[in-house]
Amino acid sequence: MRRLVAPILTAIALPVSAVAADLRPVSFNRDIRPIMADTCFLCHGPDASSREAGMRLDLREEALKPTRNDVIPIVPGRPEESEIIFRITDDLEPMPPEEAHKRLTSEQKELIRRWVAEGAVYEVHWAYAPLVRPPLPDSGVGGSSHPIDAFVRARLAAEEIEPSPEADKSRLLRRLSLDLTGLPPTPAELGAFLADPDPGAYERQVERLLASPHHGERMAVWWLDIARFADTVGFHGDQNQRIFPYRDYVINAFNANKPFDQFTIEQLAGDLLPGATEEHRIATGYNRLNMMTREGGAQPAEYIAKYGAERVRSVSAAWLGSTFGCAECHDHKFDPIKASDFYELQAFFADLKQWGVYSDYDYTPNPDLAGFNNDYPFPPEIEVRSPYLAARQRQLEAELADHRAASRARRENVEVALAFEAWIDQARAFLAREPSGWSQPGLVAVLQKKAVPDGEPVPSAPDGIVCLSQELRSGESLRLTLSASRDPIAAVRIDFTEAPRADPDGRKDNSRNRVTLAAVVRSAGGTERKVGFVFADAAAKDPHFLGGAEAIGIVRGWRIPRGAADAVRSGIWLPAQPLRLAEGEVLELKLSGEAVPPFRVFTSPFGSADALSSASAAVREAIMIPRERRLESQDELLADAWLLSTAWDPAAFDRHHDLAEKIRETRDGRAWTMVSQAAEPRPVRVLARGDWQDESGPLVLPATPSFLPGRRESTAEKRLTRLDFARWLVSAENPITARTVVNRLWAMFFGTGLSATLDDLGAQGEVPSHPELLEWLACEFREQSWDLRHMVRLLVTSATYRQGSNLRPELLERDPGNRLLAAQNPRRLEAEFVRDNALAIAGNLNLRALGGPSVKPYQPAGYYAALQFPDRTYVASDDDEQWRRGVYMHWQRTFLHPMLANFDAPARDECAAQRVPSNTPQQALTLLNDPTFLEAARLFAARLQREADGDEGRIRRAFLIALSRDPRPAEQASLLGFLREVRRHYGANVAEAGQLLGIGIAPRPGGDPVELAAWTSLARVLLNSHEVITRY
Amino acid sequence: MPRFDPVTHALSINRRTFLSQGAYGLGALAFAMLQGRLGAAAPSGSGARPAGWNGMLSAPDYPVKAKRVIFLCMAGGPSQFETFDHKPRLRELHDQPFPESFTQGQQLAQLQNRVLKARGPFTEFARHGRAGIEVSELFPHLGSVADDLCVIRSMQTEQINHDTAHAFMNTGSIIKGRPSMGSWLLYGLGAESDDLPGFIVLTSEGKHGLQPISARQWSSGILPSRYQGIQFQSQGDAVHYVGNPEGVCQSTQRLVVEEIKRLNGLLAEEQVDPEIATRIAQYEMAFKMQTSVPELTDLRQEPQEILDLYGVTSPGDGSFASNCLLARRLAERGVRMIQLYHRAWDHHGQLEEGMKSGARDVDQATAALITDLKQRGMLDDTLILWGGEFGRTPMGQGSGRDHHILGFSVFLAGGGVKPGITYGATDELGYRAVENVVSVHDLHATMLALMGIDHRRLAAKFQGLDIRLTGVAGEVVTDLMA
Repeated sequence: MRRLVAPILTAIALPVSAVAADLRPVSFNRDIRPIMADTCFLCHGPDASSREAGMRLDLREEALKPTRNDVIPIVPGRPEESEIIFRITDDLEPMPPEEAHKRLTSEQKELIRRWVAEGAVYEVHWAYAPLVRPPLPDSGVGGSSHPIDAFVRARLAAEEIEPSPEADKSRLLRRLSLDLTGLPPTPAELGAFLADPDPGAYERQVERLLASPHHGERMAVWWLDIARFADTVGFHGDQNQRIFPYRDYVINAFNANKPFDQFTIEQLAGDLLPGATEEHRIATGYNRLNMMTREGGAQPAEYIAKYGAERVRSVSAAWLGSTFGCAECHDHKFDPIKASDFYELQAFFADLKQWGVYSDYDYTPNPDLAGFNNDYPFPPEIEVRSPYLAARQRQLEAELADHRAASRARRENVEVALAFEAWIDQARAFLAREPSGWSQPGLVAVLQKKAVPDGEPVPSAPDGIVCLSQELRSGESLRLTLSASRDPIAAVRIDFTEAPRADPDGRKDNSRNRVTLAAVVRSAGGTERKVGFVFADAAAKDPHFLGGAEAIGIVRGWRIPRGAADAVRSGIWLPAQPLRLAEGEVLELKLSGEAVPPFRVFTSPFGSADALSSASAAVREAIMIPRERRLESQDELLADAWLLSTAWDPAAFDRHHDLAEKIRETRDGRAWTMVSQAAEPRPVRVLARGDWQDESGPLVLPATPSFLPGRRESTAEKRLTRLDFARWLVSAENPITARTVVNRLWAMFFGTGLSATLDDLGAQGEVPSHPELLEWLACEFREQSWDLRHMVRLLVTSATYRQGSNLRPELLERDPGNRLLAAQNPRRLEAEFVRDNALAIAGNLNLRALGGPSVKPYQPAGYYAALQFPDRTYVASDDDEQWRRGVYMHWQRTFLHPMLANFDAPARDECAAQRVPSNTPQQALTLLNDPTFLEAARLFAARLQREADGDEGRIRRAFLIALSRDPRPAEQASLLGFLREVRRHYGANVAEAGQLLGIGIAPRPGGDPVELAAWTSLARVLLNSHEVITRY
Repeated sequence: MPRFDPVTHALSINRRTFLSQGAYGLGALAFAMLQGRLGAAAPSGSGARPAGWNGMLSAPDYPVKAKRVIFLCMAGGPSQFETFDHKPRLRELHDQPFPESFTQGQQLAQLQNRVLKARGPFTEFARHGRAGIEVSELFPHLGSVADDLCVIRSMQTEQINHDTAHAFMNTGSIIKGRPSMGSWLLYGLGAESDDLPGFIVLTSEGKHGLQPISARQWSSGILPSRYQGIQFQSQGDAVHYVGNPEGVCQSTQRLVVEEIKRLNGLLAEEQVDPEIATRIAQYEMAFKMQTSVPELTDLRQEPQEILDLYGVTSPGDGSFASNCLLARRLAERGVRMIQLYHRAWDHHGQLEEGMKSGARDVDQATAALITDLKQRGMLDDTLILWGGEFGRTPMGQGSGRDHHILGFSVFLAGGGVKPGITYGATDELGYRAVENVVSVHDLHATMLALMGIDHRRLAAKFQGLDIRLTGVAGEVVTDLMA
């Protein structure tokens, strides 16, 4: 293996100097530091505690002093007198020592010797040095006036390598569209570009795509990895957290081209800005995206320490491209990052209001979160506007209005109209008996206990009030058998006539006052039929949390508020179908809860959509008015009431309730989101070896890292804040943030960063392939007001970007990683865009709106079986939210959606600046067999049938849509042959065709199933092809 | 001229360029760096590359005893006092205040802010095998294979909550992104199976004391994702998306896969990109998995006496017993790391019911796995680890025991461990390991040594650090090695 590795090592460690190394003076940063960082600094570097022989090599003044063994490590200009040269070439006791498992190559030894001979000139590590804009190389080289090309082509020219020619126009547009929006160009967009002879045609496409709202979605995928955005808390029970408005903030920020300095300040300290807006506060959700726990038995102080440490790691990785992680326990071995730097950085965030354990256990009581359990959210949170939800609400309301109108219009049919009037007559007769619209049936109440099969009778008072003498224990419930009635039952109401009793020690109030209702219809023979509830609600209710959000309605439990002692508390339940009991049938209710107050039960033949307006005064009044005097508004009211009371058209009834439920879920266009909230800062001390129980370390105050320029420190009088830190990050003095960001942008568009280690620009990171270019870009970014879009435009308009992506075999030995950029790099799409691309090709990608709650695409059943506290059932989105973009997918940290995980999306437990793309059988299985891709293939096939004619025409169309090009003759011929075979197969197995076309929730088109199945198979082939998931 | 074989071609390209199943640009490069640095950091190693080794390590540092690992993870943390650590003195002290001299200043989980009382074991112990290993009566089958067990009664860990303790037991660290033990093995040694993943995870659950687990526990972390553990599901397809879709029979799927390969081959004629060849090879592998996985998981092929040996009543029902049998089949097919989680051991309350029920779930099947491997001559090169992420307190918590990290028991079997011994001891009340203490890092170092690997050498470079399973700690416990 060593033999195989050697050329790679040279290429990687010395990516740009390998060829011309002999001609240039040795550079400490380029040539020596990487070697020393890997092989020397562990024992002879910044960390005093692990230093050997008193020898320190990372600082020149130290390295020139005699050590305690009285040898001089480095004598500038005199390698033969320098101890390090002696030791690295010593055969008996070589350095690095055997046990370090490190070895210097002879080339490396020679470099060190030459460096000492040339005077042992040290340089500040390049990433920490102040930014100075280098001059552009002579733009005469290579023929492009673009600054990026000037640097790249000067370098290529020095190596005597020709750049690749520009990619053809159709490939260029596909590349640009995928890179800027994560979506392929439509045939129309492609046609317009190909037909545009203007020399500025490409630049116009750049502007069009940068202005697209989908550009923000694309960029967000990048930033959300860095910000570790997820929908769940990550530790243990991995409960849901409410944070999607932060994701939408990020998308909007990119779409508005918010300057990166502002973007930085808002996320880290938006709440501290004078006149902080709602948007500013949403942005501070960034600080809350660390993993959190509410595991039983967790120590609050330990987890506060964990959260604090994670925040330092994530913030430093995100903005400083540096790895502070090791400094939690000791001074960094290779970089000048001290343990005090770690804790001083952490101290900036010590004001964030948070809890180590987001629960209230009796052994670790948490008065701030009294009664919190696994279903509760993770405060602090604020309620904010969600434009997505507001728009969805409007859309759903319009759909409901249409639905109601269509339902009313059915009465144009005479028979329907007669049935309607007959119902009104019956209703009028009922109201004559029961003017309130409710009747109180007689009931028999029995206390159900495990040990007593028949239960214990509970007497009810003459006025029907049932009063329990004791509280219900676990496993006990109250069975209420209602006396038989011929009136239909469209609603059940329970009135509690007293407040629930308080818990003596006040600890379990959250569950004590909760009741739940279940129902069955029991026949004379004793068989029972379960009755579900389509909705239930109460005008007065305490918040009841489920899965991290407040439940809508009371179907899954009603927490009865205490309120005034004598107030009546009514809850109304709507059976999933209005009940008409047959002879001998009775309705049985089962009431569960702990402290059940006295109550009465009513039923009504009148249903409603929102439960509470069942048997409303308006409906009752309208019923009593003779037909000829009925107002149109009353007629409409009654038509709705008829449907909701009788379900005379069951499908319309279900649809009405389904829309009503979805409208309620939009919560009037508002949503909760976690935010930063400042409180009295917690004391922060340097923890010896990172041990949270060790309180012997010194207390520290906020300060920016000591090894970076422009240091700012707190004083006794003035404690620096998160805002000070954020402003320093984007100040003129700090050089590393701009370097970090432009390096990552480069990777986004060229596949590899100028320094390949996107997460570490420190001593162990890679020296940039084009150091001057990185410096130039970083200066440009900062001086152009941190304008991200300007930078993106700059990158994608370069000739370097526009080159063909055919890798150059003749350069494989010299430049195996294509670091000199003699060609563009092919890039496999990120997980989210693999999905988006397939759905866009199929034509079912839902691009109607931006933002909103995370959505749930199909996922294998049972995938969350090992999740608990609470148990989780994944319910896939059942409407067009199913086909939203990958950036909106539910991000479950402990069990990331298999499609995302298979395509290398990170769990986002912590900052992830670099996705390592793999190429695995799991990816093949996903594209072959995941229902998302099968449904997309079927829709793509149907689209081809609509949009083109004839086998050859459709194949041409398929290539145009999926690959922005025509098929080559061999491809065309191969696919035609394939089509013949699958046609033959499905022709002989029509049932299989039906099964294949039945996958997914999209409506199944009509037409010949055999033909559609054959084309679906062809669509599967294309969606699986390497070219479709690759941006060339 | 030999015919162009895309699979061979892809693999040869991989070896040549180190883009093996890796990918483009950035990723490939970072990966190449990982590998390159590893190579540079790996000058030692004595022999030639052993049979079946096809990962990053070229030569063993120690004699290769074990070729694969089966980790039976008793998730939740079973009580050592009702399994392997017999403490008569604790029984005498039952229900009396627990001496403060033991507990002062130590971490507690759910016993925070509580009065601490001793809880004696509720089971009897008997001595088994030649060495008279003490095993609780709840585990008679394990007692019967005592001569194959290497019981460690002096384990310690650093994390007292489930989530982080699992992270520590699997990755040697609680920092996110650290690779799991199985990922390390796959990275270092590769897999011997070419139509199955090399690191497979199976889960089952008991009736009491369930705790959640996380896919993070089998994540490859900073290593490329092809080293991650693949979880076999107990319902639906064993591997996600491994089953043909409705309406797609095997022959149609074959047609589709062939056509995909043909198109990719045509692309490769136009486009220089080594990933295309890898993609072609991976579709072939995926198609093979579509056949091999259902064949593998079809336990009906096993004879009745084998089903009876394991106590499998309903083959493939997702029980621990079924999973043990599946583990043997995976081991036979060359899977490098097989990890079974049985979620059943978090007994803060109802210790007695919980331990009895958990023991019923695992006792017979675990012993059967050892017996079965032995009768097939595979126990010698299969290393079994049985144990939880931590142990339980000698103090009671209501009707149960709390989490405990200062002393607990695990056992090893097969794979070159010294059979039929007990190693290490806790103090008289079982509070703290006091003799031959074994840390999690030591356990990992020893397991790697049994695989022939010096744990300090199995490293990957990330953010300037040499990341290892054992971090900067870990001593090989040679006393455990035969």
